[in-house]
Amino acid sequence: MFRNYFIIALRKINRNRLFSFINIAGLGIGISAALVIYLVVQHEFNYEKFQNDRDRIYRVTTDLCFSDGTLFPNSGVPMPMPATVRSEVPGLEMVTHFITANEAKVEVPFVGSESPAVFKKQNQIIYADEFYFRMFTYEWVAGSRQTSLKDPFQVVLTETKAKTYFGEMKPQDIIGRTIIYDDSIKTTVAGVVKDNASRTTDFQFTEFISLSTAQTTGLKYHHGGDEWGSINSSSQMFVKLDGATLAQQVEAQLPALRSRHAKTPAGEKDGMENHLQTLTDLHFNPMYDVFGRRQGSRSTMLGLLAVAIFLLLLGCINFVNLTTAQSALRAKEIGIRKTAGSTKGQLIMQFLSETFILTLAATILSVVMVPWLLNIFSDFIPPEVDFSSLNQPHVWIFLGVLTVAVTFLSGFYPAWVLTKFQPVTVLKSPGFTGKSGTGKPWIRKTLTVTQFVIAQFLIIASFVVSKQIQFSMAKDLGYKKDAIVYFQVPFNFFDEKKDDRRFRLVEKLRLIPELEKVSLGGSPPASNGMSTSDLKVDNGKKLVQMMVEMKYGGENYFDIYQLKLIAGRWLQPSDTVKEYLINETYAKSLGLEDPLKAVGLFVDRGKKIPIVGVIGDFNTTSTHTAIKPLAYSFETENNYVVHLSLKERGDQPDLWKQGLDKVEKEFSQLYPGEELEFTFFDESIATFYKKEQDISRLLKWASGLCIFISCLGLMGLVIYITNTRTKEIGVRKVLGASITQIVTLLSKDFVKVVLVAFFIALPLAWWAMHTWLIDFAYRTRLSWWIFAISGAGMLLLAIIILSARTIRSASANPVKSLRSE
Amino acid sequence: MLELKGIYKWFNTGNNRTFLLKDVDLSVKAGEFISIMGPSGSGKSTLLNVIGMLDSFDQGEYHFLHESVHKLKEKQRSALYKQYIGFVFQAYHLIDELTVYENIETPLIYQDVKTSERKAMVADILDRFQIVGKKDLFPTQLSGGQQQLVGIARALIARPKLLLADEPTGNLNSKQGEEIMSLFKQLNDEGVTIIQVTHSEKNAGYGSRVINLLDGMIVNEPVVK
Repeated sequence: MFRNYFIIALRKINRNRLFSFINIAGLGIGISAALVIYLVVQHEFNYEKFQNDRDRIYRVTTDLCFSDGTLFPNSGVPMPMPATVRSEVPGLEMVTHFITANEAKVEVPFVGSESPAVFKKQNQIIYADEFYFRMFTYEWVAGSRQTSLKDPFQVVLTETKAKTYFGEMKPQDIIGRTIIYDDSIKTTVAGVVKDNASRTTDFQFTEFISLSTAQTTGLKYHHGGDEWGSINSSSQMFVKLDGATLAQQVEAQLPALRSRHAKTPAGEKDGMENHLQTLTDLHFNPMYDVFGRRQGSRSTMLGLLAVAIFLLLLGCINFVNLTTAQSALRAKEIGIRKTAGSTKGQLIMQFLSETFILTLAATILSVVMVPWLLNIFSDFIPPEVDFSSLNQPHVWIFLGVLTVAVTFLSGFYPAWVLTKFQPVTVLKSPGFTGKSGTGKPWIRKTLTVTQFVIAQFLIIASFVVSKQIQFSMAKDLGYKKDAIVYFQVPFNFFDEKKDDRRFRLVEKLRLIPELEKVSLGGSPPASNGMSTSDLKVDNGKKLVQMMVEMKYGGENYFDIYQLKLIAGRWLQPSDTVKEYLINETYAKSLGLEDPLKAVGLFVDRGKKIPIVGVIGDFNTTSTHTAIKPLAYSFETENNYVVHLSLKERGDQPDLWKQGLDKVEKEFSQLYPGEELEFTFFDESIATFYKKEQDISRLLKWASGLCIFISCLGLMGLVIYITNTRTKEIGVRKVLGASITQIVTLLSKDFVKVVLVAFFIALPLAWWAMHTWLIDFAYRTRLSWWIFAISGAGMLLLAIIILSARTIRSASANPVKSLRSE
Repeated sequence: MLELKGIYKWFNTGNNRTFLLKDVDLSVKAGEFISIMGPSGSGKSTLLNVIGMLDSFDQGEYHFLHESVHKLKEKQRSALYKQYIGFVFQAYHLIDELTVYENIETPLIYQDVKTSERKAMVADILDRFQIVGKKDLFPTQLSGGQQQLVGIARALIARPKLLLADEPTGNLNSKQGEEIMSLFKQLNDEGVTIIQVTHSEKNAGYGSRVINLLDGMIVNEPVVK
């Protein structure tokens, strides 16, 4: 019986190539999107699943709470905390502490060779205690967790790192070899473990130096020493509960522990809160970073999920609409089959198997489309997910289930409509056109309206998002952003003697004719990182205390960025902080109506430091955030960023390149072997809006695909309608109707559908975009013309598609269409 | 074989009730060859559809081989006609997407006949109607007479006791029509009960009895056109 079904299904598909293509393409795009989002979700939720006892492992985090209510979440803990917790807090099976290290230069001495092999900029290095490998799951290739990381100057490598340093040597032979970090830390290899690269985990470290090494060198002090008040996110602490204790019970003991050791005066709070974070939360919680790695975002996944559902839905709607609209063509077959003895159930099975074959074809197409979709949505997709991710048993199971689900979703209603035909009505007249049996027209109309509501909504949304990005980029940010380049000069924490090379570099750079101005300063006016201090100022009436963002200026710095001085004067050059320049917002926050009056006040930082000037407000980060109090100081000691303003290129397009080439030359003379990385200021500002640009890209593609699928469906319906009305068109023409009149007649219903969709989408889109924009401190307006243009565009597109077909039908010779009757 | 008692069929338009069938009594014995005649709109096809259980009626009793059709549920009715009745239509009503072979095979599929058995049965009938050479062609590749031949073959494939034919020669030229009618005669001689609807006296002449219908009622005298 199924063979018969399949044969007829294949012949039907072949006979109606256009409709089959529309159905397969629409469903294929939807299934492909669903498949990709499945791969992403599956990957993201798989993090740390392989860790033994993962339910009992928690990371301890620290929130800094300031008096004005601002919260600074930090993924680290004070350096002395882990050891104290280990000895004083009950209910813990294990505590581990590790420090993530900066990039390091690695030297590996070889016997018989005078100079050691050198590996620059090695990363993924941590200083870990001996409990690290007991808490987290690793496979040992050489050495063991019992003997590793106990003593100072031990190191454990992963297999790939071992290969990098020692080539094809056997892991057993590597044990005992020497590795030197940053010219100063001489370690011995104690073990080799398997890489985590193939596992889904954020623990991708490749070199593990014993934590006691850090304790015995100056490194400890760089990370905060024994201070309880200093928190650095590189100091990471994980605990494993004993199974009988709850995380809250452990959390509750920590404030007392801190005040006991930090010696906070009785009754005072230390402004810190420790929390226990589950291992599964690590990958998703944006408040706390995971070793600087990419985190998953639940909201991004929801967005992708919505897109996938939309596309899938649109494909199914096309199928339902086209199949029910055409059902009259199949009425005869159904009548015959019923008189031949088929039951309703058998007919439903037959149509479902037809739908299944179409869906199967769409599924195959969707797999082919996966690389394309992965590319389109690459900004949202974890780099670990690629085409090869498809080849897992659970993915095939998912595809199978999805195919069956889509088959039922899109096939059931048409099958039900089709099999309702009564053979006696169908077979009575040879020319049965069966208007009555094509299902309820309002269902088809509602489905089409739904399609266009979704498409219209996405068009408006992508329009608004691009407008906001443009607005943010074009807004007068309060500083110059074009033709400015900056770069960081290298510095070394371990060096005792002062490194003055950067001053010499700046002197040399000032001689380069292509550069307009050169400055040595702190970070540019707008950047991603920021540092804040709790400043106290006596405004004459009272002491005003608040969190203030701190930046370092330098010679020419304010000139290059063209910041505006409102009152007072610019800063004088100085090695350490001598005076402050504040922004207008800070001046106002101090309770001064006239910012001029801020000049001459003093900041209390142990000693009194004067405020000498006030500058105009500007955004130090994206326009998401409102402008906050800011203070500039001039501290040459802390200046490691060189800022260059380039001359107008005019008719010499190579001018900038020549200038930067010269900078590079000077740099490599002073810093041999170091790498130089230029950043164009305007480009770095654009990255503030990366998230928005990603959203914009997603929306553009999603709306593009939605429009494509919806228009395919529209085209199918138009073709069907014009076909069934051929006779009517012929009669009307014979009676004297013009082509325009007939085109209008045929298009009217469809135009109505698009218009209704527009008016439904309008309030939805307005509300959604209004909510989205509230997030920005500076936002573009939801002008009426955004909606007008989106609506008109959609309508125009629909009319173009309609008229392509209706004009042809309207201009056909009526004699032909009437003769065939 | 079957018996209709006081069959009424009607539809309502506003306050008026229009009768399609009015007090029809009919008894058919096995082996009869009956022709139903009457002018257009007299209810011939409706009566045939009621007999074939494709259409319902509003009042009356219908007994078919000791089953009371008016008391049966749709599923049982369909099981009944699937087993005993074959249909032939004026417009042939072959499925365009299926070949001659597959069209003839379809009723057997719905009666769960095994593949090997189906093959043998279809081969037999193809042979008998001398259309073996056409078995892989699609309906559109055949002439009208050939299509109707396939239609009859399909109606007969499941070896029905009763063959219902609604103007089987209506779309055919006279020569093709004669061939089909002599085939019917031959089938009747072999024991198949046949009820046909026809406009043509000549075709009615092949049968053993003529039922005349006028405005949904059986009349004794032939109606003069």
